Amino acid sequence: MSFSETEVQTALKNLTDPNTKKDFVSGKSVKNIKVNGSDVSLDIMLGYPAKSVWDEICAMVESHLKSTLPGIGKISVNVSSKVVPHAVQRGVKLVEGVKNIIAVASGKGGVGKSTTAVNLALALSAEGARVGVLDADIYGPSQPTMLGISGQPKSVDGKSLEPMMNHGLQAMSIGFMIDGEDTPMVWRGPMVTQALDQLLHQTRWDNLDYLVVDLPPGTGDIQLTLAQKVPVTGAVIVTTPQDIALMDARKGLKMFDKVGIKIVGIVENMSTHICSKCGHEEHIFGAGGGEKMCGDYNVEFLGGLPLDIRIREQADSGNPTVIADPDGKIAREYKQIARRIAVKVAEMAQDHSAAFPKIVVQNT
Amino acid sequence: MSEQPSEIKLHQQSHLLEITFDDGSCYQLPYEYLRVYSPSAEVGGHGPGQEVLQVGKMDVGIKELVPVGSYAVQINFDDGHDTGLYTWQYLFKLGKNRDMLWQDYLDRMAAAGASREPAPGTKK
Repeated sequence: MSFSETEVQTALKNLTDPNTKKDFVSGKSVKNIKVNGSDVSLDIMLGYPAKSVWDEICAMVESHLKSTLPGIGKISVNVSSKVVPHAVQRGVKLVEGVKNIIAVASGKGGVGKSTTAVNLALALSAEGARVGVLDADIYGPSQPTMLGISGQPKSVDGKSLEPMMNHGLQAMSIGFMIDGEDTPMVWRGPMVTQALDQLLHQTRWDNLDYLVVDLPPGTGDIQLTLAQKVPVTGAVIVTTPQDIALMDARKGLKMFDKVGIKIVGIVENMSTHICSKCGHEEHIFGAGGGEKMCGDYNVEFLGGLPLDIRIREQADSGNPTVIADPDGKIAREYKQIARRIAVKVAEMAQDHSAAFPKIVVQNT
Repeated sequence: MSEQPSEIKLHQQSHLLEITFDDGSCYQLPYEYLRVYSPSAEVGGHGPGQEVLQVGKMDVGIKELVPVGSYAVQINFDDGHDTGLYTWQYLFKLGKNRDMLWQDYLDRMAAAGASREPAPGTKK
């Protein structure tokens, strides 16, 4: 029995990608359908990195084709990922070597932004993307410790800096430039914003799909500079479930809204506490706060992470959870959140509605 | 954000900024009107009641529009004023309420006995 390409395409129209919630055809993932007698081969090109679920998707497509096209012969499905660059607003200079910039922010300090940022970066990288981390917390840089990197970055041309590397991530932080862990950056606002600008633009990022920016808490100088001078694709807000943190997370969200940066979604950290002795799970900071906030502002709830002593210990020792225990439950959760972020970013990359307006000067 | 412009056109002869929004609405805003309603602290002060009446800006020109992030433009006027960040929302408001705001400006000018004409001998 023989099939036409259209039949194969029609069959795939009824199959939904569990990550994007769209069918593979209208999501433009299906490419290169070839029919040879009763044998079918095709490529699935995903717009987001998803190495850990390639096999799953492959099996899903195969079994779907088998059940909808009876008599089908050999099926060969080739799944791969290609991250699309975000269309950046005009006027803001593109950062060389970076396709997408994801800001990780919160209103409140201490909710686990840096830990979440580094684990999400590692998760994106584990899914097959090229990822960098920019530590925008000038007063309290955490990424050198969390990534287990010490030493100073090198400069090949005397003008720009080579990013530091570990765990397959490219990283830059003010922490690399100062001597000693206890040296404070006693700086006023303008110095801080200039430092951020230099760390971002004068680092020679090497062909990154995503640059994750770990922001300091609050809605001040650094956040404003990021909004005005940096082509941010979207922001991820990290919060904990209790009211006092949610209150500030709402302010963070409204700030991004004011300056026209899209919200990718909200990650609820410390959702539950898992007792290291008995494994009992408890909502010590309250339940459902992050989800409620998402409902109030119509943004996506990306996922919740437990308050687990291992997350803290592993990040403090320079081997964050996604590296230390890559197949564990927590790492899987980080990877799922990372995929949701990547899917959302891919959608944003195709949406030009919020592009900067055309400016025309006329002699009329 | 609700208001998103698709195009901003500067008519340098007639001193009009033409802004078209996604919803199809289009406004022509005179440079003088934009200048005297600059959202900067120099003009608006740091709170209600601190506004500084801008006078003699009838002939003001625009040198350049500088994009700010994806939410605003900074307008550089040829009288040296460049500290106003005009967000899409603000420009929309200026367009929608133009007649009312302009009349309000004229009333305030009349009350202060000031003129839209540049003072003789000063650079515009």
